[in-house]
Amino acid sequence: MKNIKRMLRMHRIFVSQEIKRMMEYKGDFIVGIIGFLLGQFFNLLFLWIIFSQIPSLVGWTLEQVIFIYGFSLIPKGLDHLLFDNLWSIGHFTVRKGDFDKYLTRPINPLFHVMVEKLQIDALGELIMGIALICVTLPTLAIEWSVVKIILILLVIPFATLIYTAIKIATAAIAFWTKRSGNITYMFYMVNDFAKYPVTIYNNFVKAVITYIIPFAFTAFYPANYILTGENPLFNIGLTVVISLVLLVISVLIWNRGIKAYESAGS
Amino acid sequence: MKRKLRIYFPFINAGLQEATTYRANWFFMILGNVLGCFVSYFIWNAVFLSGGNDTMNGFTMPQMVVYIFLMFLTSTLISSGGTYDIGEEIRDGSISMRMIKPISYNSTFLFQELGNKIMTVCILIIPLVLGVEICRTIFTGEIQFNIIGFLLYIISCVFAYLINFFFNICFGFIAFVIKYLWGANMMKNCIVGFLSGTMIPFTFLPDFLEKLFLFLPFASLNYTPVMIYMGMYSGTELLFYMGLQLFWVLVFWGLSKLLWRVATKHLCVQGG
Repeated sequence: MKNIKRMLRMHRIFVSQEIKRMMEYKGDFIVGIIGFLLGQFFNLLFLWIIFSQIPSLVGWTLEQVIFIYGFSLIPKGLDHLLFDNLWSIGHFTVRKGDFDKYLTRPINPLFHVMVEKLQIDALGELIMGIALICVTLPTLAIEWSVVKIILILLVIPFATLIYTAIKIATAAIAFWTKRSGNITYMFYMVNDFAKYPVTIYNNFVKAVITYIIPFAFTAFYPANYILTGENPLFNIGLTVVISLVLLVISVLIWNRGIKAYESAGS
Repeated sequence: MKRKLRIYFPFINAGLQEATTYRANWFFMILGNVLGCFVSYFIWNAVFLSGGNDTMNGFTMPQMVVYIFLMFLTSTLISSGGTYDIGEEIRDGSISMRMIKPISYNSTFLFQELGNKIMTVCILIIPLVLGVEICRTIFTGEIQFNIIGFLLYIISCVFAYLINFFFNICFGFIAFVIKYLWGANMMKNCIVGFLSGTMIPFTFLPDFLEKLFLFLPFASLNYTPVMIYMGMYSGTELLFYMGLQLFWVLVFWGLSKLLWRVATKHLCVQGG
């Protein structure tokens, strides 16, 4: 208990440091947010143009597709906001020998890496995600209940965890290979599949994004539950289970990696 | 000429060595991007299924497949990292080291990147073009590959690369204004990506936008080479669009020279 309290306090200190840094470079932080907003904007434009030519996408309406898309941005944005620093491990921290710094400090290295930075650019994704959900919700006939709302709020942190776990596991590969940034990138790109209804994919892709690199649980399955109310055991329950399993695996890989780590460079 | 080659050859060599050292990392990045192509493929597949027609705005599904993968190939072939490099050098001041050397600033970048490209060209073109053509042959039942179209595509890609190279150099000077290059670069990539047709063919857009986009320099980046490969342009049209590419090469080449002059006068390196 004392440990968790200490970690929370550390987290607060790191965050406040980051906010001070951001205030120093206000312009940069606006540029970053606009950059990410713009990226999402063009994706939406693409969907909109496509839907102007067809009545529905294999049974999904424009509003439904946009809702799923918007929902996918929430876990993605949260992970991006809080744990973006994991990228730098595979890209340069290990290769340049800078990882030593984490090992010499009296806090858990993984925790330290994760909370060291706050990536404010992610607000671009979060703002867009919330806006899309708010715009499409009134047009969708959704039945609400207290249980449903609780389940939805519950599932978001677990969906976020899927992103984080995949980043931890792939970043840890750098402990053996010195560089793994693009392995993380490759796995991360799979999340693009999850932004759209999985019914447009063939069985092979469906199986991969459900059971192997389970990004479908970060977006489509929970969003599908919100839309239809069907199958909470699979759509919500499995999201929780899979994210926890992934987290355990990724922490195991990370810990083995740290044991194998040899400082690099001069 | 011989002297120039002797000066710049080490840069080509350095670029090639850099590329081969980090080839595993590069390979994973390419794999990630290929995954992105498959997302597009499945979306378009669903679109064609839902639309019920064989052709949409002049594209059939097999043509769309060619379009998606050729767009990816073209973007990779013509990509250029000038923005980031020049911006970083302005920021940390190492640009001054380049200025005191008796060689052209742009050329050193260009040759280093060309060395880097050798690997991309060797590894990527053959499997991608082969894969696309085999797919197309299976879909349509006859071989559609056109060797002249392919050669024109390569020439068009060279023009496109030069436009991209000089455009990125120009954009790199934005580091004088915006310090956060990563964000600015991201914004640029989104806009250029859309305006160069990587997301959706221009024929899907309203008429006036299609016409406008065709004349902007960005269409000369990805759209023109891919259209040439697909045999959509012929005769005078072909000449016109390749001429337009050449025109934009010259414009951005001139602009980068001009900006370089202005910038070096105003350059103020902090520290050393």
